[in-house]
Amino acid sequence: MSAVTACTWGAGSNETEELLTLARKLSSDGGGEFVWAVVGPADAAALQETAGKHGVTRIDRIESAALESYGADAYVEALAAYCEQREPSKLLFSQTFDARTVAPRLAGRTNTPVVMNALDLASGDEGRLLVTASAFGGDTRAVYRVAGDRAIVCVMANAVAAEPAGTATTPAIERVDVTPAGDERVRVVEAARTEGPRLEDAQVIVAGGRGLGDAANFALVQQLAEALGGMAAASRPIVDDGWTDAAKQIGLTGKIVRPALYIAAGISGASQHMAGCAAAKTIVAINRDPDAAIFRYARYGIVGDCVELLPELTKQVGR
Amino acid sequence: MPSIRIVVCAKEVPDPDAVNSYAVAGRLEIGDDGKTLTQTAIPRLMNAYDEQAIEAALRLRDAGAECRIDVVTAGRDAASLLRHAAALGADEIAAIDVDASAIDYHVAARLLAAYIETTGGADLVLCGRQASDDDQGVVPALIGERLGMPLITVARDVQLADGSAVRVTRVTPDGDEVVEAACPAVVTVSSELGPPRYPTARQTMAARKKQATVLSPGELGVGDEEMAPRVELVRQFVPEIHGNCEMVTGETAVEQAANLIAAFRESGVLS
Ligand SMILES: Cc1cc2nc3c(=O)[nH]c(=O)nc-3n(C[C@H](O)[C@H](O)[C@H](O)COP(=O)(O)OP(=O)(O)OC[C@H]3O[C@@H](n4cnc5c(N)ncnc54)[C@H](O)[C@@H]3O)c2cc1C
Ligand SMILES: Nc1ncnc2c1ncn2[C@@H]1O[C@H](COP(=O)(O)O)[C@@H](O)[C@H]1O
Repeated sequence: MSAVTACTWGAGSNETEELLTLARKLSSDGGGEFVWAVVGPADAAALQETAGKHGVTRIDRIESAALESYGADAYVEALAAYCEQREPSKLLFSQTFDARTVAPRLAGRTNTPVVMNALDLASGDEGRLLVTASAFGGDTRAVYRVAGDRAIVCVMANAVAAEPAGTATTPAIERVDVTPAGDERVRVVEAARTEGPRLEDAQVIVAGGRGLGDAANFALVQQLAEALGGMAAASRPIVDDGWTDAAKQIGLTGKIVRPALYIAAGISGASQHMAGCAAAKTIVAINRDPDAAIFRYARYGIVGDCVELLPELTKQVGR
Repeated sequence: MPSIRIVVCAKEVPDPDAVNSYAVAGRLEIGDDGKTLTQTAIPRLMNAYDEQAIEAALRLRDAGAECRIDVVTAGRDAASLLRHAAALGADEIAAIDVDASAIDYHVAARLLAAYIETTGGADLVLCGRQASDDDQGVVPALIGERLGMPLITVARDVQLADGSAVRVTRVTPDGDEVVEAACPAVVTVSSELGPPRYPTARQTMAARKKQATVLSPGELGVGDEEMAPRVELVRQFVPEIHGNCEMVTGETAVEQAANLIAAFRESGVLS
């Protein structure tokens, strides 16, 4: 029996519910049974609640001591074993940092076609999967047709808005036995350590771009961020030019954020930048050019000089 | 230290900055086939991350590693890409003779893996983190699985420990992570590696004489039945962004700032 299977691990997030929403849409579009596969430890009650809300018919728990924390080899091996046992026809992942490694490796391991950067899914002629994916850094959308009836797809954050199912379900929970070896070929010598707060968690972000005109003006961005209790960020060119450090870069090749408020000062709105911030709840654009692309994404826009406006905003916010 | 072989996989892509300039100007267009960019003025270049993958290999050589660096592309008409690779110091430049638009990344990976296998294997396979046309970032993982090699993604620094292990600094959302794996391994390189070098005029001249090895899929042992794409591009379009931007006006910056903050307060963006 064919199944649309959403696969997650670790703590649930916004993206999990988005993924479930998209998986449900595909399964009701003729994709088959709607399954949620969960790798590693998770709170059963919370899983069942979320799954029920989203109309999942079955939860498959893939558990083993080797899966208690993330390891690429163990996860790929466990998922390959899962695929062999349950034969999910469409296996969907949220495109997290680790899924970018696991999904294509699993595709290679199980000889299954894979598509990344998905924004939408549909059943085409003869039930063949159609995947709309971002390409050229967001400048275009590519629609791919996948041959055969199996596919692995990674779905981008914010592809769809999370939405509960019309009717809730009481999904059954099944355990799936896998026994990954658990020795990783890639050994962590020095773990990543976050220095201070993460842009990914910030509620307010003020970002500066080349329109700041001068490296010294990045301080104006930092001052407004501080006045708003938020964090400063940047577009790529000013990172490349050393006006600030690479950890502050937003975009396709930088951080992907979703703050409540994103103020973009002197940023043109190239799709590669917007790939990192388009999901912000409210975007404010400050740009000298009334035709700048950033205004198409913004909720509020000011046509003006950001070098004048930033300090003025800092001053007035403080009142 | 024994000599090792590094294979760098490099793909030719439409210049992403040019594509982007058209996009920002609202002039990016798709042709009658519904899937190809029409702008003929967009030059084709080596994918920037692949240039950085070559740079990573050259830095290993600079650091004293005794290595042979071979650069391979799956696609025909890649003369300028291969010449650039040769000018940078590639020992062998190789093209797999296929129409790049008629294959998918699974076929590309199958061919690249077959090249590596049939030409003596590799101690280190270096790729870009993703190709800037399709942005997929899957070919390196597929090569790794095919060849049974571990995969290390988004490297900002690549070091060899005595030729038998690779030590990589990865760029993760939580900061830099240092990992190590025994060779052979596949490593993908990210922009954080830093700018790649340019060949000198003399190197560029000399590279013109270098012959590319051209191999057909058949010569690599890849049969017709393995050449069928399973992920097929059927359509491409330029997304429309529906704005609902409210312009905040004012005679002066002081007024504009005041009006923006008032709008924030009204809509509850700021309390
Ligand atoms: C493969 C690839 C990946 C990329 N990844 C990223 C990425 O992750 N992040 C990223 O940001 N970019 C990325 N880029 C680059 C991206 O395409 C743009 O070039 C970049 O985002 C532009 O930065 P910017 O808006 O700061 O500068 P510009 O495009 O130069 O824009 C400056 C803007 O400031 C305005 N301006 C000028 N002076 C003033 C003033 N005094 N007051 C107010 N406004 C003013 C101008 O009107 C203009 O709109 C990538 C590109 C490629 C090809
Ligand atoms: N046709 C190709 N020829 C050579 N290398 C390729 C090709 N396609 C992909 N690659 C390599 O795989 C990386 C990721 O590509 P992709 O998976 O297409 O985003 C690229 O940066 C290259 O290093």
